[in-house]
Amino acid sequence: MTFTSWQFGAFVAIIFAAYYLPALRTFQVHLLVFASLFFYGHGQPELLALLAVAVFGTYLFLVLALRNRQVWLPVGIAFNLVLLAFFKYKLLFIDPASPSLVDFAPLDFLLKLPLPIGISFFVFHNISLLVDLTRQKTAPPTLTGVFLYIIFFPQLVSGPITRAEMFMPQIKPKYLADVPLVEAAKWILTGFFFKLYVANNLNEMTSYMSFPLYETLQTQDRWLLVFLYSYQIYADFFGYSAIAIGLGLLFGYRLPINFNLPYIATSFSEFWTRWHISLSTWLRTYLYVPLGGNRHGIWRTYLNLMIVMGLGGLWHGAGLSYLMWGLMHGLLLVLERPLLGRLASIDFAVLRAARMTVVFVCVTMLWIFFKLPNFDHAVGYLTGMFTPSTNPNPTKLFYSLALLYSLPVMIQHLGFRPLFEGRLRWAEPYLYGSMAALMYLEAGPETSFIYFQF
Amino acid sequence: MSAVRWLVKCGAGAAILLIACGFATVRFGSGLQMPATTTRDGTLITLSRYLREPVPDVVLVGSSITFRLKEEYFATAGLRNLALAGGSPVTGLEIVANQSQLPKFILVEANVLTRPTDAALVERYSRGDTEPLFFRPVRAAVAAYEQRLHASVTHEQVVLNLRKLTEQPPSDFDNRVYADRALQQFNAEDPADAARINAKRIEELIRMVEHRGARVLLFELPYSEPIEGSRYAATTREIVHAAFPDTKRWLPVEVNRSELRWADGVHLDERSAVIVTQAMERTLALVRTVK
Repeated sequence: MTFTSWQFGAFVAIIFAAYYLPALRTFQVHLLVFASLFFYGHGQPELLALLAVAVFGTYLFLVLALRNRQVWLPVGIAFNLVLLAFFKYKLLFIDPASPSLVDFAPLDFLLKLPLPIGISFFVFHNISLLVDLTRQKTAPPTLTGVFLYIIFFPQLVSGPITRAEMFMPQIKPKYLADVPLVEAAKWILTGFFFKLYVANNLNEMTSYMSFPLYETLQTQDRWLLVFLYSYQIYADFFGYSAIAIGLGLLFGYRLPINFNLPYIATSFSEFWTRWHISLSTWLRTYLYVPLGGNRHGIWRTYLNLMIVMGLGGLWHGAGLSYLMWGLMHGLLLVLERPLLGRLASIDFAVLRAARMTVVFVCVTMLWIFFKLPNFDHAVGYLTGMFTPSTNPNPTKLFYSLALLYSLPVMIQHLGFRPLFEGRLRWAEPYLYGSMAALMYLEAGPETSFIYFQF
Repeated sequence: MSAVRWLVKCGAGAAILLIACGFATVRFGSGLQMPATTTRDGTLITLSRYLREPVPDVVLVGSSITFRLKEEYFATAGLRNLALAGGSPVTGLEIVANQSQLPKFILVEANVLTRPTDAALVERYSRGDTEPLFFRPVRAAVAAYEQRLHASVTHEQVVLNLRKLTEQPPSDFDNRVYADRALQQFNAEDPADAARINAKRIEELIRMVEHRGARVLLFELPYSEPIEGSRYAATTREIVHAAFPDTKRWLPVEVNRSELRWADGVHLDERSAVIVTQAMERTLALVRTVK
């Protein structure tokens, strides 16, 4: 059941209607847990057992770690990392198409299970739960509370990755009168608009970036498509996160903001405070800082940056392309670090625009490794960007359509928001209404969210 | 502003735009050809046009191989190419057969007979109600712009360019990478079962449409030499000729093969497509005079 299906709309409407009934107020958390299990099991019922193992196991280690943090916290973290590693990286060593992988039937069954949707996200929730709550040394939370934190359906599949210390205090009775309806509507409409109008339409064009289709492209179109993919992946993931935040608000939970106009960043470090903020915050809190952060000299800081970004790349998938993507981002962070102080002292509009352009172009070029997880294909695409095309029948792309479908991302980044919060405030509801109509009229062909695969 | 007022205004904004697009659809219909960003889009445009315009004399159905034979290459008036890039000739033939009026001649490509019929497409274009309820405003705007820039051309408008093109020497484009990959695919796939099923269905459809007065001719477009010898091409040829042994059922495509070039060993390049088109027209003219 994807966010863009009518079944999901009906599902949310039913749960929302039941959630605020006075008679069910004491069961609100249970209802959300049940709804989240239904949502998850609807697509992959065979993986509900895995979800249960992950949640019960984490809860058990949480209770034990609250008694003896030194021993049980590392064990709990290792338990989650093994789960993640098993499902995410097993395909490096086995061929799932073979009739029998091992002689032991239960292990054979496990090896053949598909990648559980959202595993990368709920494992990070589990680790955050273990670290945050044992650090605070509070009483163990209820099992249903833990369940809700880990599997709350708006964020279960692709985040935002919420930290336990942010989410757990929000678990309390909710009232309809407290729901910020307009704010929730704005998030949900914006999210669907970016997904259906921008991302799905751009996906029609960027599908030509796949191998071997990209060989039919002219050189300039290869360049164009990389930039379109940059807009697409932003619109897709920002759209998902916005819908999740809006849905969270409907049920009384405030999820963290995941994007803050990333393509206006003037440095790579700033980019990572604007793109997938919940992941970069998680990596900084639970990996970079424990590794020593910037506290042990300059070379150790560089090493830590490379380790964190390399692992961040591998978190997305077991492939050389993802590792390369992470390491290249790490390298860019290392290279810019000595220059940041000097650049910050020059406040000059042209220089700021130039820095923004450099960061945007580099980030965009690195998306090629995301779009083409096969490293050879990614290199082939990149090479073709710098060599003239000889194909006598190149694919035709409509530049005007590309521009019109990318426009919302550009307008959003140009910062017109204050205008609608000030002088044009009266026009705001009509603007959102037009976005709703446009996403219905101009929706591109259905495609799953890019981050579902992670 | 209260939440209810905000939501009402938001709904009003959406309604105004939807109503405007609804009126625009009634006023302009779907006559404006939407730009195709994918081959699927292109297919829908071609089929919608076929249903909207008067029934032509000659119709071609086929796969991406026939798709390369553009309508403006043909001097024959009233000819439509309904070949579906990525699709099956049977899909096109089913759609044509399901219409109330038939063309005089239906030319069916016999190169690719492994793909299943696109049932959704057949159903959609057999109902006839293809008019959308609303305009797609962005695509409509781009379509209007594109039509202004590149209005669709007729054979008369391009005849000089076509002549110049055929007078040029064959292309020296090095297609080895693509041709090797195509050959590998053509040798890997066994088309026998699917080709037999499709050949049988074509036979049934021929019987139906010829009973209603149309005439069906099969044709084979040339592949490059290595592809001609591949397992896929050889098996398909054998099956389809066994199913249709009568030479009168076939439209011969007689060309000097040394003049032909392929983008990938399978699909003709533009110059070769023009040459093949002219060869088909010559034999079609003979068939039409003999009757």
